[in-house]
Amino acid sequence: MVKKDARKATNPLEHTARLLDLVPYINTHQGISLVDLAEVFEVSPDQMASDLTTLWMCGLPGYTPLELMDLDFESGYVTIRNAPTLARPRSITHEEGVALVLGLDVLRSTIATDRADLIEAISSLSHRIADLINLPLALSATSNFNPQIQTLIADAIAQRGGLKVSYHSLYKDEISSRVILPLEMIESQGYLYLHAYCYAVLDFRHFRVDRIQSAESADVERPSSAPAQTPEKIDFELKVVRPTRDVAERFEQDDLATGDIFQGSSFSQHWIVRSVLAAGGAVELLSPAEIRSELANRAQSILNRYQG
Amino acid sequence: MSRKSERLINLTIALLATKRFITKSELFETVEGYEGSPESKERMFERDKDDLRSLGIEIEVGSFDPLFNDEAGYRIKQEKYQLDLGEVTALEISLLSLAATAWQGASLDDAAQRALVKLHSLGIAVDDANLLDSVPAFSDAGLDLPMITRAIAEHQILEFTYRNFDLSEDERRIVPIGLSTRSGLWYFTGVDQSIEEIRTFRFDRVIGNFVIKRGPKDFETPENFDSKRIFETLSNTSAVIDVRRGKGASLRALASSTQPLGEWDQIQVPILDMKSLAALVLWHGDDVYVQSPPELREIIIKSLKDLARAHG
Repeated sequence: MVKKDARKATNPLEHTARLLDLVPYINTHQGISLVDLAEVFEVSPDQMASDLTTLWMCGLPGYTPLELMDLDFESGYVTIRNAPTLARPRSITHEEGVALVLGLDVLRSTIATDRADLIEAISSLSHRIADLINLPLALSATSNFNPQIQTLIADAIAQRGGLKVSYHSLYKDEISSRVILPLEMIESQGYLYLHAYCYAVLDFRHFRVDRIQSAESADVERPSSAPAQTPEKIDFELKVVRPTRDVAERFEQDDLATGDIFQGSSFSQHWIVRSVLAAGGAVELLSPAEIRSELANRAQSILNRYQG
Repeated sequence: MSRKSERLINLTIALLATKRFITKSELFETVEGYEGSPESKERMFERDKDDLRSLGIEIEVGSFDPLFNDEAGYRIKQEKYQLDLGEVTALEISLLSLAATAWQGASLDDAAQRALVKLHSLGIAVDDANLLDSVPAFSDAGLDLPMITRAIAEHQILEFTYRNFDLSEDERRIVPIGLSTRSGLWYFTGVDQSIEEIRTFRFDRVIGNFVIKRGPKDFETPENFDSKRIFETLSNTSAVIDVRRGKGASLRALASSTQPLGEWDQIQVPILDMKSLAALVLWHGDDVYVQSPPELREIIIKSLKDLARAHG
């Protein structure tokens, strides 16, 4: 924060932009406290006082009291008079417009379809802003979050209540119904996860929020026992048969060359089997031996069906 | 530092307040802060003009008297300087505030906040009613998004190295026409200049930096392009796949139609990319079975043979 403040104070262009934007803001917020104003513009109160002092010296050519802006902030509250030329806010920049248009689009993707009024307002705003920055409507942002489920989770966390959820487990490829006690939301790599106590396994689990397909509140008892032991990780070893982007991304390997051997680990045997199957022969699982033979059997039995 | 800002503010005010063009010599005489030799004033003024332009302030250059067009004059038009979004309602301001909060912690956070300050300066009372219970958050790992959007606006060419399916690397030249994000990943779409076709790229598969070049003069965005539909297929071929009841949720999510067949359902999946569809089918093991097309079946059969041989 301190660093940001120092940069804001010393870059003359950012400083000029802030001074220009201060005038219309004070104009519509007459009597705002200097401290609040500093917060809006994300600078220290001292920097704000110095900004106002600079502005106070500015005005129309001639620079007599008649032409200068009439700024008063000695009391700690800020008012401005006689600043008609800068009274209206500046137009938005390209960057600012892009931020707003993308922000509006991601909002749209979370709004329930019965709020046609909001969707219409968003579409009208997007068009007007895109026009201002001369950008065709080329931007799109979607969120996979279901707002109803998000609300239920937020309420459950706040009220320490339970939820009955149906959850799509990607590794097992099953939709299961379970009762959980939501504890907190965690964001990682663009996905939201819910950290919760799961009564089906009597342990703490992470759930990806976009895979929760439905939720309703449920009565639960607070877990009294200490959490059971975390499941053990399975170490595995793979050999690269054919380097592919899919393998690089799936197993998070930066450099791949034919014949390379690399290690990994996972909590889920399902994940290991499915990942190697999906690689379609581009990797060979060297160990563990029992998963290796399971893979051979699985591949052969599916193959029999195609050739049967 | 504040002397320079002060001069820039005074220059802006002087140029905004005038209806006619003002000449440089008039500015040097009247605007506070221009000092020194004529050459140094000149240099100062040139730099100031550039600075104001980089802040997005458009300075008009014109002749201040049509009879004596030997000296250029300058002014800033209020219409260009001011924010003009037409009539803005309290509801719209609330929506824009929510839109800005989506950037918290992401690359355009500062820009979104600056825009918000300007919008709040319109002096429209905002009703604080809770419009939405939650706002999604962007995560973009510091991508230079405005570089792409500027290239879209100006039809520039982007040159970059891209990692292909088989990990080989290609040099690409595209005119970008769209930017999208879904599930935390960012994509850009453009017209590939060597094949004249629309392609979509994932940012994290670009190797190194983008090089920006001047684009073709007569470029026009293809009419059938819709940035909201880049993830929907433009292809006209579909795969017919049997999926065990209650299984294959991620394949079902791609299906264009579903027909129940007792223990199994038969779904139609539009084919966007044969290889990634094959990978998704294989991921689901014996819970799915491809009926057609033959090319997809061949990929699956060959992969299964390889897998069985390698692990047997």
